[in-house]
Amino acid sequence: MTVVTGELTGPLPVISTAGLTKHYGTVHALTDLTVDVGDGVTGLVGANGAGKSTLIKILLGLLEPTAGHAHVLGHDIEEHSQEIRRLVGYMPEHDCLPPDVSASDFVVHMARMSGLGASAARERAADVLRHVGLDEERYRPMGGYSTGMKQRAKLAQALAHDPRLVFLDEPTNGLDPAARTDMLRLVQRIGNDFGIAVLVTSHLLGELEQVSDHVIVLDGGHLLRSSATGEFLERTGSLLVEVVGTETERDRLGEALARHGLTCRPRGTMVAVDPPPPGLAEGGAAHDLIRDVAAELGLGLMRLQPDRRHLEDVFLEGGTRA
Amino acid sequence: MPDQAATPGRPGVIHDLGYRHFEGVREGTATIARTLFVTGLRHAYGLGRSGKSKVMPFVLLAMSLLPAAIVVGVVVLTGLGSLPVSYADYTNQTQLLVSLFAASQAPVLFSRDLRHRSIVLYLARPLSSPVFALMRWLSLTVAMFVFTAVPTVLLFAGAMLAGLDKSDQTSAVLKALTLQVLLAAMLAGVSGLISSVSLRRGFAVVGSVMALIVLTGVVTVMQNIAYYDGDSESVSVGVGLLSPWSLHNGLGNAWDAGIDTPAPVDGAWVPAYAIVALLLVAGCLLGLVARFRKVASR
Ligand SMILES: Nc1ncnc2c1ncn2[C@@H]1O[C@H](COP(=O)(O)OP(=O)(O)OP(=O)(O)O)[C@@H](O)[C@H]1O
Ligand SMILES: [Mg+2]
Repeated sequence: MTVVTGELTGPLPVISTAGLTKHYGTVHALTDLTVDVGDGVTGLVGANGAGKSTLIKILLGLLEPTAGHAHVLGHDIEEHSQEIRRLVGYMPEHDCLPPDVSASDFVVHMARMSGLGASAARERAADVLRHVGLDEERYRPMGGYSTGMKQRAKLAQALAHDPRLVFLDEPTNGLDPAARTDMLRLVQRIGNDFGIAVLVTSHLLGELEQVSDHVIVLDGGHLLRSSATGEFLERTGSLLVEVVGTETERDRLGEALARHGLTCRPRGTMVAVDPPPPGLAEGGAAHDLIRDVAAELGLGLMRLQPDRRHLEDVFLEGGTRA
Repeated sequence: MPDQAATPGRPGVIHDLGYRHFEGVREGTATIARTLFVTGLRHAYGLGRSGKSKVMPFVLLAMSLLPAAIVVGVVVLTGLGSLPVSYADYTNQTQLLVSLFAASQAPVLFSRDLRHRSIVLYLARPLSSPVFALMRWLSLTVAMFVFTAVPTVLLFAGAMLAGLDKSDQTSAVLKALTLQVLLAAMLAGVSGLISSVSLRRGFAVVGSVMALIVLTGVVTVMQNIAYYDGDSESVSVGVGLLSPWSLHNGLGNAWDAGIDTPAPVDGAWVPAYAIVALLLVAGCLLGLVARFRKVASR
């Protein structure tokens, strides 16, 4: 089962695996995984125990695969894992911060452990801590941080050395809804604006769909699905649209879309669009329509994304497809 | 996050001019390893850490320097013809302080990264687990060596001030320093391995105290019993293979560095002591590598 996700910009995919398998005794954490990952943000979705963290650790060279091969940024994971670890960043799912050190000192140290000189490390640490949104707190010992602040500090150390690729293992774990949204936006910016490829895991498809260009779904160590986010969306396609402005602008958009045959209703500051009718369901036509309508009305499009869905839907679909 | 609010959600529309890529030099593993070593060495003395963490190492260092300062004072003022204690034996006499330094500071270098799991962040970076373990051990080894060498150098300075024979003193002090290197490597290995297994600081300290202080006491008692009551030199010398301190003292005895052991260490025992000491160091290093690798993969 070879599947390629998304538009691969370079000659080589960022990550490519072939028959990757990991068994812990009788536990089959990963089974014959063959998948390619391109630039931008790739979501890796699966329930607890699906094998997400196992995959990341194998790609980092922290675990040895039972069978199969993989390349990261063109380097073989078995022969050049050191070169890989020079170029990637890793945010583990578990706590990994010493409580008696400040985020600032810690990120500087971790940047140096990736090969940056003392002054470069200090400069980068200040930069990334600002990007992740740790301001005054960065001089306080991390033991006193809230979960949200800890997640940001963990993210900062992963970015400290300006990696080409980051593995973010459940970055939204333990965050409240507002912090979750912030973190997801940050993930999206890393992939799209910072130009760092992202592999981000979650057990919620809904939240990854919002920020990912491609989604890979794992189920019990098996690849269930790997496709561009758009493909998910075209199949069941409820959409969420947000424009710059107040409720007035929102309602103008909603009414205009309704005139074009889409069923809309307000949701918070956004317009929720029901799955488009058959005429508009093909090839992202609904997307184009929404963009055009917003442009005609002179409204700034802030957000156009699939509505949250639950992983179970994909599992159900995957099950019927298999 | 004020700079985020303005960023639209869709990819590739507006590029974030705020993010700067790093274009500078990335050092190779040798430089990274050296940075890790230097940081670890400083941390062993509480430097670059909280004020509180400097108390223990420096109090112990001061305590182990105090007798040396007194000896120097006496020798210089009274014009004694020799030091009342040999350089190597001074280390032996202050072994409680040396062992306590190892027991209290090894957790700083070997427990913290494992307990807080920051080890994962290190091993996701260029340094491999063997290099990481080796550098941690080297930091503690050098810290231990500095701890024993400082009073030794003070004694030597005193001997020079008092006008003792320069070549005699120099050869004695070099022997003592060489033995200290081996001692430091063993103590760092043993206390490091113990600290990497028992992650709670209290247990790690108790474990190292057991291995370095209690075990040494037991070995010394058994060596004496074997020699004086059991009348067996070889059993007495053989038992000395069982602790780092008795290995150090035995080799010092064999090398004429001015340390008394219950029975003299000579003949085939000398290479045996040296080999066991080196095997002990190697075994501890292998154990550390295995331990770090295992924790990182979890
Ligand atoms: N060291 C280990 N020894 C034995 N089994 C393991 C080990 N690590 C992971 N597993 C098993 O491998 C499977 C995959 O685990 P993995 O941590 O990769 O899942 P995950 O998708 O990251 O789950 P989660 O959402 O809970 O983080 C699970 O069944 C897990 O119990
Ligand atoms: Mg996981």
